[in-house]
Amino acid sequence: MWLNQFLVLSAVLFSIGVYGVLARRNGVLVLMSIELILNAVNINLVAFGSYVQTVVGEVFALFVITVAAAEVGVGLAILLLLYRNRRSVDIHDVDMMKG
Amino acid sequence: MALDVLGVVGFIRPHIDWHALAPELTLLGVGALLTTLDVLLAERGRNITPVLAGLGMLGVLVPIFTLLAAGVVGEPRVLFGGAYVVDGFALLLKGLFVAAGYVVILMSTHYVAEGDYWGNEYYGLMLSSLLGMVVMSSARDLISIFVALELLSIPAYLLATWRKRDLRSNEAGVKYYLMGVFASAIMLYGMSLLFGVSGSTILSEISASPGLSSGSASSAVVILGVVFVIVGFAFKVSAFPFHTWAPDVYEGSPTPITAFLSVASKTAGFVALMALVYVGFWERSNVYGPLLWFLAAASMTAGNLMALRQKNIVRLMAYSGVAQAGFMIAPLAIAGSSTLAADDATSAVLTYLVIYAAMNLGTFAVIMSVARRTRTGDVASYNGLFRTFPAMAVVMTIFLASLAGIPPAGGWFAKFVVFKALVSADNASGYVLAAVAAVNAVIAVGYYGKIAARMWFEKPWAASAEAVPEVASVGVSEEGASPDPAAAAPLSDSTQPIPAMVRTPLNLLPFSLRAALTITSLATLVFGILPFTVSTLTDVSLLSPFPG
Amino acid sequence: MQDFLNGWGLTLVTFVPMLGALVLLAIPKRNEWSLKVVALGSSLLAALIGVFLLSWFDTSRAGDLQFVVDKPWIETINSRYIMGIDGISLPLILLTLLVVPLCIVYSFDHFPEPRNPKSFLTLLLILQTGMVGTFVAQDLILFFVFFEIVLLPMYFMIGVWGGENRRYASIKFFLYTLFGSALMLISFLAMFFLADGTLAGLDAVRTFDMRALSGGATAAIARTSQVWIFAGMFLGFGVKVPMFPFHTWLPDAHTEAPTVGSVILAAVLLKLGTYGFVRVAVPMLPEAAAAWAPVIGLLAVIGIIYGALGCLAQRDMKRLIAFSSVAHMGFVMLGIATLTPFGVNAAVFGMVAHGLITGMLFFLAGSMKERYHTLEMSRLGGLLKQAPRMGWMLGFCVMASLGLPGLAGFWGEFPAILASYSPAAILHQGVFRAYMVIAAVGTVLAAGYLLWMLQKTAFGKARKEFANSPDIKDVKRHEYISWAPLLVLIVVLGFYPRLLHEATDPAVRESLEVPSIAGSAQDCLDSDDGWTCFDERRTEIKQTQGN
Repeated sequence: MWLNQFLVLSAVLFSIGVYGVLARRNGVLVLMSIELILNAVNINLVAFGSYVQTVVGEVFALFVITVAAAEVGVGLAILLLLYRNRRSVDIHDVDMMKG
Repeated sequence: MALDVLGVVGFIRPHIDWHALAPELTLLGVGALLTTLDVLLAERGRNITPVLAGLGMLGVLVPIFTLLAAGVVGEPRVLFGGAYVVDGFALLLKGLFVAAGYVVILMSTHYVAEGDYWGNEYYGLMLSSLLGMVVMSSARDLISIFVALELLSIPAYLLATWRKRDLRSNEAGVKYYLMGVFASAIMLYGMSLLFGVSGSTILSEISASPGLSSGSASSAVVILGVVFVIVGFAFKVSAFPFHTWAPDVYEGSPTPITAFLSVASKTAGFVALMALVYVGFWERSNVYGPLLWFLAAASMTAGNLMALRQKNIVRLMAYSGVAQAGFMIAPLAIAGSSTLAADDATSAVLTYLVIYAAMNLGTFAVIMSVARRTRTGDVASYNGLFRTFPAMAVVMTIFLASLAGIPPAGGWFAKFVVFKALVSADNASGYVLAAVAAVNAVIAVGYYGKIAARMWFEKPWAASAEAVPEVASVGVSEEGASPDPAAAAPLSDSTQPIPAMVRTPLNLLPFSLRAALTITSLATLVFGILPFTVSTLTDVSLLSPFPG
Repeated sequence: MQDFLNGWGLTLVTFVPMLGALVLLAIPKRNEWSLKVVALGSSLLAALIGVFLLSWFDTSRAGDLQFVVDKPWIETINSRYIMGIDGISLPLILLTLLVVPLCIVYSFDHFPEPRNPKSFLTLLLILQTGMVGTFVAQDLILFFVFFEIVLLPMYFMIGVWGGENRRYASIKFFLYTLFGSALMLISFLAMFFLADGTLAGLDAVRTFDMRALSGGATAAIARTSQVWIFAGMFLGFGVKVPMFPFHTWLPDAHTEAPTVGSVILAAVLLKLGTYGFVRVAVPMLPEAAAAWAPVIGLLAVIGIIYGALGCLAQRDMKRLIAFSSVAHMGFVMLGIATLTPFGVNAAVFGMVAHGLITGMLFFLAGSMKERYHTLEMSRLGGLLKQAPRMGWMLGFCVMASLGLPGLAGFWGEFPAILASYSPAAILHQGVFRAYMVIAAVGTVLAAGYLLWMLQKTAFGKARKEFANSPDIKDVKRHEYISWAPLLVLIVVLGFYPRLLHEATDPAVRESLEVPSIAGSAQDCLDSDDGWTCFDERRTEIKQTQGN
């Protein structure tokens, strides 16, 4: 019974994250929404891991946290570059190329 | 059991098969060496870095060959409790990644050295991305697939943004990054669900777990998990409708990186897809079959139709890449019908990947060579290429014929094995998909043929006639010699002063680019005329029995 | 010697032109003379080796494959490098080996604009390898590869050296043929998976070996599957022939192509399609062929009438000849549709005759265009006065083309009509007799449009604009050299058709035989109750297989 509560929490987080990615215009907020999805993943992993009595879930979650940190580092660097060149991080304005 | 390992009882060092890991370790060593040299030499390392990177790639081939000689194909080496497998499949792909990486380094050498954005990190980043791909070929569990995916993607985001002050490159980087990260987050969510249902991250154990069988109570979760994971990789291989990043990223990135993304990164996506489909989801062909069927048919058709109306050669190649991805997904869609069909489909996709690598890298090498002169990526700049640059026109014709699947260039065999795999399933969905593929093979000729027609039938492009006399003054050209289509209209006014160094005049192709063209065109022709050169390599099975 | 005959002889003939093409690539552009000599030399060398090799051809065993090579090629799909010739491919190979050198001679000093002899000759030689290869290949995949190799050179030949609408014509040609061959490839694959090589005495079940596939390996495939597979091949070959609804690329391609391109297109390329029917589609799937025969026959006679009417509507001479090709290929297809040895023999003869005659007509049209700078028939006239020898040659070819007895064209058309009087017993006789009547009307129409063309162009007085044109000269030396062999052959084959029949007849009979452990396909085709015969044959084979 207790597993479901975690799963519901993670599903809600996931949905909010996906909504954020699709709806937000600010690059930094999109990045944060993606973090929400990753946190949903972590909750899932840990909850499942403890449900089936294995540490693999937590190990996986640790990997996700570490890699996400690297990912965000690179992402912020790219967004900073964008801000320097355009004075804006509105990703809907980034549309020079079409076709 | 896992608790024991972590517990106070004592950490038992796992047995590590160093020979099996030698390619990865060598690659890691070369990457570390390059980074160190960068710190020590700085500007002085400019000429030796690409050479070292190239030699390093060739060096990685050595352990691959020794592993081959050690009979890995016959008896796979299984490491880390099944999470990491070195078998014929993995070895072939490692070789393919390293070879493709070598060609991309050849293509980059002058591009990076002559551009405004030189930096040793370029090669370091590329090597770490390649390391991710090499790891991916052996990864047989969710965690290692995830780590490999991120290892290959994160440097690629930076490489796409390489031209820091070019807004197009910025845009390419941002789009690639956001789309990529989003896709991998979705994929991770799917992975977490699969882990929950099966209680394991090792693919063969997932496949065997009762939670994954069709009758299981958690069927809905499994479906969601499988769909999310496949969708995540559909982004990576740029399958319709998850392809939207590809044209912009391809156009904005530096051209060698575009070639790298369109070949190596896409191949890595397919490797993961195959490992997942064959090993992980084997029992659930009723889920991934229809999904992949749709992705294949839609990618082929939509990619082709959109490619037809492209005016920029790089965008055209992006959509052509979407269509080609459809061809590669197609055999996977019907793989679940039997073990025989599965093996057929494995070989088909691998064959396609090998030939696609040769012809697509070659096409981008031609695009770079042509853009060196014309400074634009407009398809119109190919007009009359046969008269202004006949050798290049002939080479490009070979690649286009190959992409379109016309013998004797290699592409025909790639298409052929796909058709064969589809027909071998001997069921309605296979035949229908084969017919869809056949029609698409013809549509594709519409745009490949159009470029060929421009090169051979049209009057030479006016602007290109002007560009050639400029050659003499290139040394002082303000635009620098960043011969990228997208750089045609440089948006930044802060052009860097060009450091004094040996330059190749524009009417002479640099040696490394020539080498890239020679390697790829010869490979394309050899694959077409003597197809056994590929088919003996790709005749491997992913369903090889896993111990334990 | 034995090695040469039963080893690398055919390979040499096929690939000598390709080697020549590679040598050409190495010669710089400005050495035009050596380019031309090397090109002519390699095509002549191929012809000489070919004739030398074929002089060992044993006509008493014309039904069997000879000079066979059988080497592994792509082992994973059991596709082999198999080459060999029998009486059906023999004349077509000779035709190819003859036509290409003649084309090089013809264009020796008259390269069409924008000249560039190097590329032109290279393409021509690659084309030759593709064409010869298709006729000698005995493995379906090898056959397919050669079949496709001819596409690109022809595409470029039309697109670079063609007339005003060359881009449209070339891409149309390309897309049509490619569409057909893509579906054809799927059919080949389906056959690969459904056929059983062991029925034809092979070790392997799955095979692309054409000898096995046309030797009974396909006998156990269910009829519906056969019909579908045949449909794919029908599209592939039918586009190339071209048959009626798929013919529209042909007039455009012919009109826009340079003279030499038109000649090769008419003389050899169209035959790849009909050869495919005779060599692949019919012998490998005789049952499906019988099911499709009424449709093929119908499209063939529609082609005959439609081609003829199309001719009457043309104002351009080259376009008219192109439409006449559609009509002529209709006769060939009608012959094949009868599924009798007599009809198929007529078809093979028709292919060779059409190659010689229509090739020659395109040569003449090209030379006239060179002189008049137009082929608009309303502006032409008086060729007999201005260039009498050429005028006579045109008259001669027109007579040959409309099927005058004593010239080659007759032996293609007349027996095809005759054959449809009594088609294979399995087919509906009444339907084919109706086709016969329509085809006969077609010959009358053919006489009409060809004579009309002759009258428009050769008779009467020259128009004012050309009356004193210095360009209009009679037949030149290079034209004599390149035309004489064709003209001679038209007469020789007209008077002595046995020359060809002796070779083709055993091979045709062999190809329709399609033996199996439960009786041959020929017996079923010949029986009034053919469908039951096929069914019983299949059941019996399956039973033996089961045991």
